[in-house]
Order: sequence, then C-alpha cells, then structure tokens
Amino acid sequence: MARLIEKKLSRRRFLGLSTCALAGVAVGSQVKVLRALAKTGEIGEVTTLPGKDVFTSCGMCVNKCGVIARVRDGVIHKLDPNPHFAAKSRAMLCARGNAGVKVVYDPDRLKYPLIRVGARGEGQWRRASWEEALDEVAKQMNAVAEKYTRAGVMFASTEGTFQEHFFMQLAECFGSPNTVRHPTLCLSSNIQGFGATFGTNPTPDVLGADYIIMSGANRSEALITPDSIDMLKGDGGHRKLVYLDPRFTKTAAKADEWYPIRPGTDMAFILAMIHVIVKEELYAKNFVETMTVGFDRLVPHIEPYTPEWAAAECDIPAADIRRIAREFAAAAPKAVYYQGRRSSFFANDTQMRRAMAILNAVVGNWDVEGGMLPNRSIALNKHDYLAPWYDDVPGRLDEGAVTYLSEKDGSWPIFRDRVLAGKPYPVKGMLAYKQNVLASVPNRAKSLKMMEQMDFICTIDITMSDTAWYSDVVLPEATYLERLDPPEVLGGIVPVVAFRQPAIEPMFESKPCLWIMQELAKRLGEEIAETFDFTMEEHIEHMVQANPKILEDLRTKGVYLEAEQPVYGATYGQPLKTKSGKVEIYSEKYAENGLDPLPVYTPPEAVPAGKYRLLVGRHAYFTHGTTANNPYLHDIMPENTLWLNPREADRLGLTNGRLVRVRSAVGEETLKLEVTEKIRPDSVYLAHGFGVLSKGLTNVYGKGGCDAALIEEKTCPISGNVAMHETFVEVFPA
Amino acid sequence: MLAILKHRPSSRLWFSLLGIGMIVGAIGVVNVLLKGHGHVYNVSREIPWGILISTYVFLVVSSTGLCLISSLGHVFGIEKFEFFGKRAILLAILTLLCGFGTIAMELNHPLRMALYAVISPNFTSAIWWMGTLYGLYLVLLCGEFYFLMKGMHKGAFTMGMLGFIAAVSAHSNLGAVFGLLEARPYWYGPFLPLYFILSALVSGGAIISLLVYFHHKESGELMPQRYGEFMDTLGRLQALFLMILIFFVIWKIIPGLYGRPPEKYEATMAVLFGPLAFNFWFFEVLIGMLIPVTLLLNRRTRTPLGVMYAGLLSTFGIFFMRYDLVVAGQLVSMREGAADLVGGLLHYAPSLTEVAIVVGAISLCLFLYTLAEHLLPLREEEH
Amino acid sequence: MKNKRLAIVLDTRRCIDCKACTVACKAENRVPLGRNNYRNWVDEEALRGAYPNLGQSFTPSQCQHCANPPCAHVCPTHATEVNPDGIVHVVDKKCIGCKYCQTACPYNARYYNEEIGAVDKCTFCAHRVYEGRLPACVETCPTKVRVFGDINDPNSEVSRLLAKYPSRVLKPAQGTKPHLFYLI
Repeated sequence: MARLIEKKLSRRRFLGLSTCALAGVAVGSQVKVLRALAKTGEIGEVTTLPGKDVFTSCGMCVNKCGVIARVRDGVIHKLDPNPHFAAKSRAMLCARGNAGVKVVYDPDRLKYPLIRVGARGEGQWRRASWEEALDEVAKQMNAVAEKYTRAGVMFASTEGTFQEHFFMQLAECFGSPNTVRHPTLCLSSNIQGFGATFGTNPTPDVLGADYIIMSGANRSEALITPDSIDMLKGDGGHRKLVYLDPRFTKTAAKADEWYPIRPGTDMAFILAMIHVIVKEELYAKNFVETMTVGFDRLVPHIEPYTPEWAAAECDIPAADIRRIAREFAAAAPKAVYYQGRRSSFFANDTQMRRAMAILNAVVGNWDVEGGMLPNRSIALNKHDYLAPWYDDVPGRLDEGAVTYLSEKDGSWPIFRDRVLAGKPYPVKGMLAYKQNVLASVPNRAKSLKMMEQMDFICTIDITMSDTAWYSDVVLPEATYLERLDPPEVLGGIVPVVAFRQPAIEPMFESKPCLWIMQELAKRLGEEIAETFDFTMEEHIEHMVQANPKILEDLRTKGVYLEAEQPVYGATYGQPLKTKSGKVEIYSEKYAENGLDPLPVYTPPEAVPAGKYRLLVGRHAYFTHGTTANNPYLHDIMPENTLWLNPREADRLGLTNGRLVRVRSAVGEETLKLEVTEKIRPDSVYLAHGFGVLSKGLTNVYGKGGCDAALIEEKTCPISGNVAMHETFVEVFPA
Repeated sequence: MLAILKHRPSSRLWFSLLGIGMIVGAIGVVNVLLKGHGHVYNVSREIPWGILISTYVFLVVSSTGLCLISSLGHVFGIEKFEFFGKRAILLAILTLLCGFGTIAMELNHPLRMALYAVISPNFTSAIWWMGTLYGLYLVLLCGEFYFLMKGMHKGAFTMGMLGFIAAVSAHSNLGAVFGLLEARPYWYGPFLPLYFILSALVSGGAIISLLVYFHHKESGELMPQRYGEFMDTLGRLQALFLMILIFFVIWKIIPGLYGRPPEKYEATMAVLFGPLAFNFWFFEVLIGMLIPVTLLLNRRTRTPLGVMYAGLLSTFGIFFMRYDLVVAGQLVSMREGAADLVGGLLHYAPSLTEVAIVVGAISLCLFLYTLAEHLLPLREEEH
Repeated sequence: MKNKRLAIVLDTRRCIDCKACTVACKAENRVPLGRNNYRNWVDEEALRGAYPNLGQSFTPSQCQHCANPPCAHVCPTHATEVNPDGIVHVVDKKCIGCKYCQTACPYNARYYNEEIGAVDKCTFCAHRVYEGRLPACVETCPTKVRVFGDINDPNSEVSRLLAKYPSRVLKPAQGTKPHLFYLI
C-alpha cells in the first residue's frame, strides 16, 4: 500500500502535475478490483494518469444516452449524464447507465482470447494469443466455406454497439448472406404494421400529447428515452395515461387507468375504439378525406367490432372502452395510441400493429404536436466498400419463409429451424457478435441443438455469455468505455448524433470490433482485407466530411444536433412512402400478397385448464440477457421469481417464496414463487436474464429461471417475428 | 493449574467444558478478526444489534446485580449477606470484564472508542455515559475487592457505597441507552432504566444463590446454620424480586397492546406470538419466572437445593429476556419494503460465530472465577 | 456553506422505481457491493387495493439531514457532525462502530461500511455540492424526482416548489425536523 502511494506520488511528479488536483481522490472499490487483478498478475500495476472528463455514449442498452466519463487516476470513477444530451435522453442516466463502470471493472470480464479444450459447454478453456485465436477462426471459417459454401457460415449480431456494421461488412465480404439479427426477436412486426400504413414507423410525441394509451409498452420499466420520462406527470402535469397490461407494472402504478387486459386481445380493444370513433363520427374527417385511402372499406369492416363484443374478449367493460374511445377522440390530435418498442407477443402482431396505426390515422394525429411524428435523421457520409463477388453462394437460408423478410435481419426462429433441418443447405459455422442467442431466442433447447450441429462457433463479447460458453473460440471485445466508435445517428423526433471516445485504454487484451474484423479479414484473403483498409480515425473523418462541425461538437459536447425542438407538419403536401403516397387504412399491398387488407380479429388460443399463459416483460435494471451479472445491478435484483396471482397460489396450495417448477412443452425451469396481486389469474410471469448456463457469469449463475428455456417459438407469418406470449405452462411444487 | 485439576475429579470435567467453551470462543474471535464483522455476524443494516449486545447486557446486569445484592451485606449492614461479599464482588468484576469483552467484539473499533471518548466526548450520548459510568464502576469494584481481601472494612464500606451508586447510575443508564431512542417505540421511555435496576436484583439474587450453594455446601461444617438460614432468606427475597419482575413484565406488555400503539404493538406481538414467542413463553416466563417463583414460594421446595435450582433457571431465563428485549426493539422495519420481510417483520438469528463468542465469553468468565476460587483466599473468616 | 440550508424536494408522482439514484450513489460514493449497502433507496410501498383495482407508490429516500438529528445526539464520540448548511455527515476516523446511530435513526438511513470501517450515509454528495455540482442522485434521476437546493434562498427551485405545493416530511412526530420534503 505504502509502496503504491509512493509510486503514485513519484509518477505525479514525473508528470509534473499539481497533486492537489488529484489529492481528493480516495481509493475505492474499483481500484480494489484492479489491485486484486494486479496481484494475480492478470493486469499490470495500477498506474496514475491525469484526471479527465470524457464525453461518450452509453452502451448499456439501445438508447445510447450521452455520458460523461469521469476518469481519475486512470480509473473511470463515475459515469454522469451529459447535460447536452437533453434532446434525446433528457440529460439522465438510468441504473444500467450508472452501472457501466462495473462493466469495465468486472472480474467476470473476458480478458484474453480463449480456445475451448473440453467438450462444448463444459467450460474448459485455454488462454490463447490473438494470433493463434484469429488464425483458428479464419481456418475454421474457410473450412466450412469449402465444405458447404460460404453461406454455411452464419453471422449473428445485434444492435447497440456502434461497430456492428463492421461485423456485417465482414459477413458480406466473406460472402455469406446469412446474417441473423435481433429485429425478429424485437420490433420487426411493429415496423411492418406501421410501415404498411404510414410508410414509416413513426414516433409518438409523448411530451406534446394530452392523451396516451399504452398497451404492452411498459415504459416505466422498459426505458426508452425520452418517452419514459416524458410520459410522467409532475409539476403542472395534465396528461392522461391509459395502460393495458396483464401485469400491474410500474407503468401501471403511474397510469391514470390500468386494465389487466386478456393477453392477445389488444386488437379487439383497438377495433372497438375505432368502431366507436367511426360510428359516432368522432374521427378527423378532413384528415381522413385528404390524407388516407380505404376509409370507406373500414366502415363496414368495423361494424361487428362493438365495445360490447370487445368487452367479452378483453375483460374490459364496454362502457370503459366506449368512454376511452370518446376521450381519445376528444383529445385528438394530441392523442396517441402508443405502439411501443418490444418484441411481438402473438403471431398476429403485424395485423394488430396495423389496427393501432389505423386508429392513430383516423383521429388525424399524423405529424402534428402530440401525435405520431415521422422520424427525422441527420445525414452522415456512408462508408462504401466493394464486396467481393462469389459465384456459388445460395440465397438466405430463410428466404421466402414469410411475406416480408428483412434481407439483413432474417427471421430467427425460422432460420434456426432450417439450420436444424439442414435444408435447403447446411449451415455449420457460426460467428456471434454480442448477440446472446441462447438467452434471447425462445426455445433454448432448440438453440442448443442448433449450436451442437455446428462444426465451429466463435463468439465475440465482453463477458462469458451463455452463447460464448457454448463456443469454440471466444474473443474479448473492448467495452464501450474503452473504444473509439464511429458517430451514430439516433433518429427520432429530434435526431441527434452520438459518439464514443475511449475513457481509458482497453484493459487486458480486449480489442475493438474493427480491429478484430480487420485481423480476420487479413486472414480470410486479400480481397476481403482491402475493404477494411482504413483506420477508425479515417473512417470517422470520412463520415463527417460534409460537416466537420459534427465531429467538433461530438468531441466537445458529446452530441451533435441540428434542432433542439421537434418539427411538425413537414410531411404535409409531400407523398408518404406508401404505394398510394397516403396513409393506407386499407392496404392494397397486403391484399396483393393474400394478406388481410384490413386487420381481422382472431381470438388468442384459450388457456387450457390447469395451465397458465407465460408472459415475458422488462424491468429497468437489465437489458435483455446482458446485464444481470453486473455487480451493481445484481445487488438490485439478485434473482427472478415466478409471479402468480394469490387466488391461483391458494388453489395450488403454493406459498410465497417457495421453489416451484414451471413446465412448458419445450422446457422446465425451477425458481422461487412470488405470490402477487399484480398479475392476472390466468397468467404467470418471470423476468428475463436468469437461469443462465454459463458459469462464467458468477453472480447470476444458479439463480432463478430462464424464460427462453420455456417459450415456444410461434412466428408471425408476415414479418417473421417471434411470438412471445403463445406458451402455456404448468406450475408444480419443486 | 495441575494442582487444581488434581483437586477433584469433577473439576476436571468442569475445566474441560470451560476449555472447550473458550476454544469455541477463540475460534469465533479469530474468525471475526480474519474475515471482518460483516461477513461473520448476522446483524444487518436494519438490526444492527444482535446477541453480542444482549449478552453484554446480560453480563453487566449480572455484575450490577451481584454488586447490589452483596452491598446488602457490607454497605447496608445486613449481616446475613456479608459472608459471600468477596466472591460476589470478584464475580461482579469478571462478569463486567467479560461483558466489556463481548461488546468489544461487537464494536468495530474499540480502540477508537478509547481515544475519541476522551478527546471528543459527546455528553448527550447514553453510550458515552455507559462507558464512563461502567469504567468508574469497575474501578470502584476493584477497590472494594481489594479492601475486602485486605480485610479493611471501612475502605470496603466506602468503596461499596460508591460502587452501589455507580452501579445504579451505570445500570439505569444502560436502560437509557435503549430508553432514549425515540425511533424505537418498543424501547422508548423511562420504563427500561427502572426495569434494568429491578432485573439486576433478580439476576444478582439468582447468581448469588448459585455462588453460595456451590461454594459453601461442603464448608457446611463452618456455618451449617447460617447457610441454611441464608438460603431461606435469599429464597424469600428472590421470590419477591421475581414477583415484582412479573409485575414489570405485565406492565411492559399491556401498554404495548392497549390501543395498538404503532410499532410498539408489532414488537410486542412479535414477543408474544411472533418469532420470539417461544423464547418468551418457554424461557422467560416458564423457566425464568414461573417455575422459580413456584419453587421459592413453596416452603417445602425452598431448600438450599431448591433455591439454587430457582436461581439457575432464572439466570437461564434472564439470558433470553435480554436477547428478546434487544431483538424485539428492532424487528419492526423503519421503512415499508426496506428489506425482505418475513410476516411483516425483519429477521435476525445469531450466526455461529456470534454464538461462539457468547459461549466463549461466558466460559471465560466462569473459568476465571473458578481459577480465582482456587487461587485466592475467598473463604470468609468468622467475624 | 454559510447562510444556506440545503434540502431536497421530491416529487414522487414522477418516481418509477428505476433505482438509478441508488446505483449512481453507489458508484459516486464507492458504496460497497451488497444488498444491505446503500446510501439511498427507493421503497416500494405496499400494494393498495385488490386485483384488478390496484395502486402503488414508490418512495425514494435517503438521510433526511435532520435539523434535530438523533444520530448526532447519540454518537458517543461526535463522529456524526452537522455542517452549518445542514449536511449531516460522519467523520470516519471517529466512528467506533457501536451502531447506536443506526438504531437511533428513524429512517434507516445508515449502514456500516466495512470497506471504510465506519458507519456511512448520504452526505448530499457534499464533495460535489461544494464544487458547485449536484448530488449524484439528483443529477442522474431519469424522471427528475429530486430537486436539490437551498431553502434559505427564496428564489431557488426548492423554495419555489415548497411555496407552490403542499409537502410532507417523513415521521414528523419523531421531532427530527427532516430536510427531505415530499410534495403531496
């Protein structure tokens, strides 16, 4: 200890710094972790560097809020919200954002390239040099390509890092069409449903709205900036929030009205609202006339969908539906039916989203204050490269599986089924970048089977996720606080450009994605390597070439924006990006494809006797399956529980806190029971992120149950999105 | 030491038991020193005081009780109560020291206390007064013991008188350590200082019945008459103390239930019917009070043996009485949803290390006393 | 800071129990890991009503920086000190670890910090405040539940809020005169 202080002091003198600038800095627990690591020889001695504040961008979830990393003594001491980032994040930082320091100084971090020595999933690894690990990955990729064509290697990745496009570039240049991304576990049906109506997926102007209806979007827990903040009332608040959810969430606690709607019946509620608004002529006549097509077909279509009919479907009284519809129309156009950003719950999700979009359209809230606004963006130069051409590569494995398949994203459940079937061709190699397939894709047993049949799996991540645990080579990426990332446009009502500058040098042997891709490219062939022939600095320079102020602002304020306030009405007088150029209430495009041109309600499958519908959901502490092991967040939520209504718990003779087994058609998990009034008696719920397989996640291993192990993967036939709420489970005492 | 072991075969068993107890305690102490309080104690943010504090209270109550009862002899001049003076004062010193030892294990920084209690005293703190008064009390006890051993009765009287005052002040102040906490309705108020003095008398009486029984039984030839008579008197006195104690216990409960005073009611219910109910009804009420009172009130069972048994049971019961008092006051959460509540209450059960230290402290106390009994001339000469 | 009386005004209508304050505080103040170790917290109040008519409030809290702090009265060594601006804080080296203050505090605001070897609690981030910055919990709060400032200054945001809305303090009957004000 004394030696360390001595060293510190001499270092300070060497740097010619005033010691008082640093004197107040106490030695804290992060330094402790570093010391412990230094002691075991895992890192070099802790050195002393000058303090600095670094503007960067959070990497804990999809919101990418502005962050100021306070670096003291070469250690990130604290992450503070960036006040300049108010337009997007309202200058806040949530629990996860604050826990980011522990991502860097996490003893569970991946530190070196690892090569598997035991059986897959056994957790036997040996430390390898980057040289050896990269050689191995390239060798295996080429081996698979040779044996099964280049399409035999799949690339799984996810949004959130600012370097994913380098991974996608490698996939393309390597010659595989098989990139599988998160959207079909997320909002692809939402984008499809709203896109088919408005030509885009608009953003609700929550701050300007007087009336908001949220169904299934749990904004107090599934945080989306700035909506999660803007929806709340406070000083002078008058906004009304109506919330539909089978669970009493923290959003329900903040809502003016909460209805525990029967899962899967949202469309009935929406159609009944449209029924009331159309029948009572409460809709925006002028807007409907001038800006939409197909309203005349909607009128007879909604005839049978009365509030009385919907009441029986939704478990919401007809009088309330009628009243809410009237209030909503009265508040319009400052009224939004909030579509949320989440995975789909039922296979008919795209049509349900269509119904939402139509309801918004008929009250005329398009592109006005408090309504649905088209997203705006900021132009940056695109990075162009010439991908090599390969003759013998087939199309996507999941091609033609659904009506609208994204070429870049694919459809996870269908893709996996085809890998398992080996048809139309085998896929035997897998590269995963930050996507934790085993925790995110429903039906974990199937994902494990898919991975089992792979000849080779490589995962690039920062911790030993379940997917990494079942890989052959694991490559440690530098965390978001250690990287220089290209600027990224966060589109929305007020678009901003975000940016990451390294707060500290990458620890251990971790490397940024670009470096890993470049090194792999070198090993995969000159043609591929050529497309990566640039430095990060050059790449960034190129992106902002047209407007150097962008980079200047990013460096000095951590954000670039062109306007602080929303712009309303810019699309009026312009054709929309739909076929007709108008809002398509009736979708000609869908009709042509043999799909319902207007949303037709089909009731969800009834819950079988003795079973419960399994619900998924979010809370504000974890981002999907990635942050449960974070020491700070783990303190807040050390394990998950199975929610069950007291009435049902009594019936089953189960008491609060006891262990229960939950069994679905595809899996069984054991976890603690939480008897709570906060859930419908016909449903159960467990939080995501637990029941992990990886022993490399030491905090969370052995805790709680995994939802992905239980969910059956029904799929939306239009978008290919997975349906999360179509699983029934039984609950037994453990 | 060897000589002592040869003394009697039963000594060997006694010393082995105490030896084991002390080793257990030493393991506990080492465990704390190596791993730190937080890792080996079950006390928490919500229940910061556990069995070490209650054992400390138990030990210092015993000390006070011994001092008070023995002062009946050489301070208040009741001759019957004079012959066990040295032993009582010696044991009062040892129980006090072991009490200090227990609380030192609970305090995270006993050395800081020694320094800052002097250079930065806070006169509004009952714990500051507790340290000061018990310190003074210890000095006076030692003085008293010295004079008793030297046979200097005048000095012993003066010291005894001052010791008596110190004991009453220190001990009622110990009640105030709890009683001044407005945040803890179960403890708050003037009840505890009064109750502590009374219960000290019960403790003292009980322990003296054990002392006299075990050390004067064989020396029966010295004072057969006095011995039997003394035990009878002590038994009657102890019966009176116990009945007053019962009265105190009842009046502790009634205001805790009547009108359901917030927090106090929940704590009282925790004692009567909640997690502490077994401790209360079995140890405190049955073992600690009802059986002893029955033994002592019945002329046929008020034999030296009966009085001894009553004392033994009371001492046992009182140990739990202290534990329940300390824990019950903290069971009600200060905040709704503060922690994982069980039946609306917080939860505490001592850890193995805490229990080990308690066993060690009591064993050490008994060991030192037995050793002194063998090494020091404690036998009273006839005046 | 002289002539100031620092306080926090909380608008719990905006609290979504996201625990950003707790993690921000842990990171800023190097509060050790562990569920029992925290300087501030959010309590989930008991669920009101029965399914399907439910209600729930969340109460974020921390040391109340009482004007009449029982913790300071009971500390045997004056380890708990009160600054002229009302900030109640612990002088680590004087803390003997008797935990008397923990039993005396009616808000359960204190815990024993094994890493620094003293009882620890919220200091309103005095080290930040005296540099002209906001306490970490106030700055980070996503929904801006907490407003920090000087109630002696009639133009401060806290004074404005207190003048405009009725407010309450926790456990007023304890006579502790807390300086966390909850808007009603």
